[in-house]
Amino acid sequence: MTKIGLEIHCQLTKLESKLFCSCKANYRDYQPNTNVCPICMGLPGTLPRLNQKAIKKATIIAMALNCSTPEKIAFFRKNYFYPDLPKNFQITQLNIYGDTSIGGPGMIMVGNKKIRITRIQLEEDPGRLIYEGASSKNQITLVDYNRAGTPLVEVVTEPDFENPKQVREFLNILSDLLENLDVSDPGLEGAMRADANVSIKGGNKVEIKNIGSFHDLEKAVHFEITRQESLHAREIPIIQETRHWDDKRKITISSRLKEEELDYRYFLEGDIPWIKIGKDIQEKLKSEMPESISSKKERFVTKYGIPDQVAVVLSSDKFYSDLFDQSHTEKNAKEIANIITTDLMGLVDTAEKRTQSKLQSSHLRDLADAIQSEKLTRTSAKNALYEIVKSGKELSHIIAELDLGNVSNEDELLKIVEQVISEEPQALAEAKSNPQTINFLVGKVMQKTKGKANPQLTLDLLKKRIS
Amino acid sequence: MVTEEEIERVAKLMKIDVHDHKEFVEKVHAMIDFFDMLDSAGVEDEEITMKDLPLSSLREDKHIPFEDKLIENLKNYKGSYVRAPKMV
Amino acid sequence: MNLKISALEFVNEVKNGNISAEDFVSATIERIKNVDEKLHAFLEVNSKAVEQASKVDKKIKSGEKVGACFGMPISIKDNICIKHSKTTCASKMLENFVAPYDATVISKLKEQDAVFVGKTNLDEFAMGLTTEFSAYGPSRNPWNTDYVPGGSSGGSAVSVSAFECVASLGSDTGGSVRNPASFCSTVGYKPTYGLISRYGLISYANSIEQIGPLTRTVKDTAFLLNILSGLDPNDNTTIDNDKDDYLSGIDSGIEGKKIGIIKEMIEDGIDPTVLSATNDAISKLEGLGAQCEDVSIDMVKYSVASYYTISATEAGSNLARYDNLRYGYDFPVEGFEFNSYISKARTKFGPEVIRRMILGGFVPSSGHAGKYFLKALKVKSKLTKEVNEVFKKFDYLIAPTVPILPFKIGEKIDDPIALFQVDINTVMSNLTGIPSISVPFAVSNGLPVGMQFLAKHNEDKSLLQAAHSLESTVQLPEIPI
Repeated sequence: MTKIGLEIHCQLTKLESKLFCSCKANYRDYQPNTNVCPICMGLPGTLPRLNQKAIKKATIIAMALNCSTPEKIAFFRKNYFYPDLPKNFQITQLNIYGDTSIGGPGMIMVGNKKIRITRIQLEEDPGRLIYEGASSKNQITLVDYNRAGTPLVEVVTEPDFENPKQVREFLNILSDLLENLDVSDPGLEGAMRADANVSIKGGNKVEIKNIGSFHDLEKAVHFEITRQESLHAREIPIIQETRHWDDKRKITISSRLKEEELDYRYFLEGDIPWIKIGKDIQEKLKSEMPESISSKKERFVTKYGIPDQVAVVLSSDKFYSDLFDQSHTEKNAKEIANIITTDLMGLVDTAEKRTQSKLQSSHLRDLADAIQSEKLTRTSAKNALYEIVKSGKELSHIIAELDLGNVSNEDELLKIVEQVISEEPQALAEAKSNPQTINFLVGKVMQKTKGKANPQLTLDLLKKRIS
Repeated sequence: MVTEEEIERVAKLMKIDVHDHKEFVEKVHAMIDFFDMLDSAGVEDEEITMKDLPLSSLREDKHIPFEDKLIENLKNYKGSYVRAPKMV
Repeated sequence: MNLKISALEFVNEVKNGNISAEDFVSATIERIKNVDEKLHAFLEVNSKAVEQASKVDKKIKSGEKVGACFGMPISIKDNICIKHSKTTCASKMLENFVAPYDATVISKLKEQDAVFVGKTNLDEFAMGLTTEFSAYGPSRNPWNTDYVPGGSSGGSAVSVSAFECVASLGSDTGGSVRNPASFCSTVGYKPTYGLISRYGLISYANSIEQIGPLTRTVKDTAFLLNILSGLDPNDNTTIDNDKDDYLSGIDSGIEGKKIGIIKEMIEDGIDPTVLSATNDAISKLEGLGAQCEDVSIDMVKYSVASYYTISATEAGSNLARYDNLRYGYDFPVEGFEFNSYISKARTKFGPEVIRRMILGGFVPSSGHAGKYFLKALKVKSKLTKEVNEVFKKFDYLIAPTVPILPFKIGEKIDDPIALFQVDINTVMSNLTGIPSISVPFAVSNGLPVGMQFLAKHNEDKSLLQAAHSLESTVQLPEIPI
């Protein structure tokens, strides 16, 4: 019985400021130690100033994960020494005097599997260590505090995962959920980090730390399961310990530093009183929560008749679902959904492409209209879309500029059909005996018209001609 | 009883080199013995609470950069970093 | 130039044009030059003080709006940050630390045109009762320079009592403002927890400490409290006092008020001189129309143990940031690995601070927390309940600030338990958060004795009225320096 549990740290990158000071929450564009102030650098005499919105955002994360949310929360100090920790203690949350963390027990479904959430806590990120110097002899350790104090939400799960695939699925669900709630940009480097714990066959639990990416997490868990199974097969006991993921060698190794039993001496953070959130605010937050992904999917399927697969893709990506909701009407919903999930996807598959895209919801409406009224073929529409994303020009201008208009004139089309028939006598003969092969001829007509021929009309004309 | 090993362990925890352990053992021992009187206070059933603050009195989420070049006025390496000792 | 005037008298004199701020501050600096070599109240004197005072004079002459302090010379305990000034906490660990920001109390005083004459000496990191634990040498009691001035705000008390400034700001964690005030015969006040912002006060035990003024008169304290108190967004533990005016009604008197004499604070170990002074004070209060009665607060017996357990735990955590990496003293990291560097760098702490850190690592550690730290927190809770109960019957509580007379320098420094006991009358106010004040009451054989009043949480205005009443009955000898 393999048991895997996770501890995921998610940065609240959608906040403007850090958890305890007014420096920027998203530190990524700053030169080292320029996004700092006396508070986040732990200078003497400074006191933490708690960010109100951080509590609100953490609360809705807890609600989205079906966690209990206590009316009053408290903060604690976790005391230990490390160069990236400006105060040499971290302000975090615990439940030693009753339930005082932002989120209590909850759960989320991963496919058919129920994953229980142990708790959610709000805490501060430490700074970053940078190593300079080629050899380990000359190496020096440098500290950049830009990240110190960035708000983190830690999600702790019960060891309910049975295999690495479930873990991966969960991380994707969590990622989409955080993005959908507008609390974090999970795609940003370092915005989501995770540690795992693994045990097999009811044996000792091994913690794995220092995992850089989700991809590595899957690998690390897989490796650790294999390692434990191999030990078990040889009847070697599995020691309860913390292991580090070695990214270069792709293995987990025992922590060399036998950290003299870390005693964190937890106690209440005296500079932050207990915070009363209260039922009223919690209810308001719940009612203002963005629609959940599963609810969106339901709505797309039941209200607009959008196929299940398409609805899944649309709903799980906030960029697409926002676009859909802004541009669809009762009439063109299915068409818009189709355009987004087939033609558009390839054009905006990265964060960069999305920021550069000039596509507006009005463009999609015009495009859907044009397709439905047969002014544009699918192929032309695809070409038009490419141009829209690039330049943002009106659809009508693009159709004119690139001459994308449908060739729907029967006479014109007939001429081209005759041309193709005369050029392809063999294909004609084949089509007469095997009607299925007529598509080859349709394709030729499309080629000649650069995709602008009305496909249905072309097919009809060819059929007439052949018989 | 506070032993020298305990003092050594705590000194490591608090990251202070305590050379003359014996001196500390005596003084710290005396201080901790003094604290033993807490056992007779009869407070086992007391609850630990703190005053609370409503959410609305907390700081607004605004980015306000600190106006001075802080790192230049602290110990720094090449004007941009803080230098830490080697990590093993 | 007569320096022996109160803050309010100074303001009047300057307002009336009888003296200039520059002349007064100049005379103050002269005084410091004359006496401080002996007394060592100051760690650093502000060389720009006279210049700053003259700027205030210019403002007055030009008819510009002038702040309430009118250039008054104030000294500041060296654990409170003044921008661009060295702030050492009397420690070698912070030898070179220059604060890059002003504490809130400093900003407020600057706004009111106060002039800071210098930073005063303290027990290292505010841990101590005698200022003997300063890494830069002790301060001396101006009433008798062989004696301790009290602590940890010893330098502050000395500077006020020896007329090296008009008022001072200290910090009180377990009695550190009231105790030296009592030993040096000045007023020393610890406000309700949260009344004065701690932003910029270098933390020792953050859940119980407060910045407090030391002044010549109770009215001066009320004057400063008007400037310093109030909600501060930089300190989430500050409370709203609805902009109370602490000076108005301060002469109201204590007719009909009920005062409780805390039994546990006048029992074993009290010096007979102090006991007789206390009885004297009680008669005087009754003469003013108050009703005095004995009251027992059981948890007082455990308050010292509770205080030292809690403060050591918090100190261990608050002082963890001093790893000498970002600020501190000169000690390069080359050749060291992390743990060995930090452990060596932190040996610059003095022996008392190191003792408290070891204690502070021990009492909350797993395996011991239940017996010590958690119990101490529970004592704190129960004590607070008992005190709240007592205030249902009484308006004020009274006890001598310190149960013993000032003692000689070096006399108790090697006996930590004996030193602990000096705090027994003062820690209760810190543990419960209620306000308390020490009023100079008597001088016996040349050594000062202070009387302490305590009031209910956030009843600081009322407390100052009671203190003022007692003060008005007192006639003290001149200080012999």
